[in-house]
This record gives sequence, C-alpha cells and structure tokens, in this order.
Amino acid sequence: MPDEEPSVLRQLTRLSTIGITLVAATAIGLAIGYWLDRWIGTSPWLTMVFTLFGIAAGFLNLFRDLGLVRRTWR
Amino acid sequence: MTTEKNSGGKGIWFLLAGLVVVNLLLGFFLAPRHVALVHAPIFQFPNFFAFLGVPGTWLPAHVTFTWLVMVLLVVGSVVATRALKAVPGPLQNFAEVVLEAFFSLLEQMIGKQGRHFLPLVGTVGLFILTSNLLGNLPGFQAPTANWNTTVALALTVFVWYNYAGIRKHGLVGYLKHFCGPIWWLAVPMFIIEFIGHCARPVSLSIRLFGNIFGEESVIAILLSLSWLVMPYMIWLGIMLPLSLFTAAVQTFVFIMLTMVYIAGAVEEGHEAEQH
Repeated sequence: MPDEEPSVLRQLTRLSTIGITLVAATAIGLAIGYWLDRWIGTSPWLTMVFTLFGIAAGFLNLFRDLGLVRRTWR
Repeated sequence: MTTEKNSGGKGIWFLLAGLVVVNLLLGFFLAPRHVALVHAPIFQFPNFFAFLGVPGTWLPAHVTFTWLVMVLLVVGSVVATRALKAVPGPLQNFAEVVLEAFFSLLEQMIGKQGRHFLPLVGTVGLFILTSNLLGNLPGFQAPTANWNTTVALALTVFVWYNYAGIRKHGLVGYLKHFCGPIWWLAVPMFIIEFIGHCARPVSLSIRLFGNIFGEESVIAILLSLSWLVMPYMIWLGIMLPLSLFTAAVQTFVFIMLTMVYIAGAVEEGHEAEQH
C-alpha cells in the first residue's frame, strides 16, 4: 500500500494544497450558510454556524495534512 | 584605413543603437495606449450557437481553443496508435513512454487498482499539459487560463472520485467514512467533511486557473509596456522558460492531487488516511 511509504511527491502535493484549501473551506461554509439563510429566512444564525463549520473543515484538513507529514517524517 | 575587425565591432554597436532608436520611435507613435490583457486570439469561430442563446458575435476564445486542444489530442493519439508495431516507431515510442509514466505514477499513488483510473488521469493530464503549452505560442490562448475550463475539469475529478469511492465501499459505507469514529459527533463531522470535500474542486480549479492566467497576464503587461527590445528579451529569456516550467508543474500538481483524492476515496484502510 502507498500508505506505508508515501513518496516525497505525494507529501509535497498535499502540503501545497494547505493554503488554498483553508480559504476555500471557509468561503464554502460561508456560502452554504448564506444560501440556507436566504432560503429558510433565519437571517444571521445559519451563516454564523456554517462559517464556523467551514473554518473547522479548513483546520481539519490542515491538521490532517500536517499529521500525515509528521508521521512519515519521523 | 580601418581594419575589417574594428569596423565590424563598431557596426554591431551602431546596429544596436539604431535598433533602440527605431524601437523608441515606433513605440512612441505606435505603442498601445492601454494595457491589453487579452491578446487577439488567432483561432476563433463566429458565434454559430446564437440560436441557443450564446451571446456575442464570436464564440469565447477558451471554448474554441479547447476544441483545438481536443483535435490535437485526438489526432495525435489516433496517428500514434493507428499502426501498432512490435518495434515501435518514434511516435508510438513516445506514446508508450507517456503511458508507462502514467501507469507507474498511478500504481505508486493509488496501488494495484490504480490502472482503472488511467482514462481520467491520463486525459486530464494530457489536456492540461497541451493547453498550458499551447498558451505559450504567440496568438494562442491557453484554455486553462479561464476559470470555466478549470472548474469543468475539477468538477469532473470531484464527481469521478466520489463515484469511485461509492462503487468501492457502497453508498452507506462511503458516507460512513464522513461521519468519523465518534457517534455523537457524527452530524457535525458529516457537515465538516462535506464542506472539506466541496473545498477540493475549488482549490484545484483556482490553483490551475490562477497560475496560468497570472503568468499570461504578466507576459501581456510586459509586452505591452512599450515596443522596445528589452521586453521581448525578458520574455524570451525569463518568462518563456518560466512559463514552460509552470505548465509542467501545474499539470503535475493537478494530476497528483487527483490521484491523492482517488486514493483517499478508494483505500481499504480508510482510517489510516484519516488520522
């Protein structure tokens, strides 16, 4: 399995995604919350909740990628 | 009176000085007064889709250049594989090298089942590489310098790797991976994972589009500064090698990320990837 010995290229490509994914996840959470708010009509609440979810998703991806790298660099 | 060598040496300097003066005069009278970010594409069709509601008198350049890349790839692959021989000619040899490179990458990244994903990864990689390189020719536009093209590519990858994961694990099994190991955190984890997966095509498409479009914009601004010799020298000496490098690297990053996503969706021990 590639999971036992991930190549340097794989680590580098995963690392290169960190910045954009962090921003994109936050923006997508904001967009989903905004659309749900306009659809249901609960004005600020779903936007706030889904923005927090988006930030959480971005940081989850960040920690996942960093954890992968740290595990293989050890 | 003067020697041949001496006059020849002076002649070069006179030639260069004259060239600079001519360029200055030409630039003073003829240089574009605005920064033209979009150079005139040389491959364009009149809008024969007007009956479908497509606006404009010409079809958008990135669509026609996409067709051009498609024609190049189809004709190239048909010519390369039309008469297969045991001792390959140069074109078949090249095609075999490319195919072997894709096969080894797929097996290295995804594993034994990696060969099933050659149609997606190979097509996407060759399309992106061809269109990135096409953008370096004067008068041609890279289709990947438009966000619409890269969004189409990224959405194709998104649908395909989710479909591969569902076919591998089943719909319930695949969605169960989204929910995490703790049962009372399943609903927020599912939402977070969903947002994280939605961010993937966005980051894929924005990276490719941003790199290629930014590079084309820098070249366009550089060349529209004035009609001097120097911008062309900078273009030939610095920007052209840089953009060739960018074309290869962005293609590589795109297909590597595609394979990483497919591997994450298809892997047996899904938990090993997660933590």
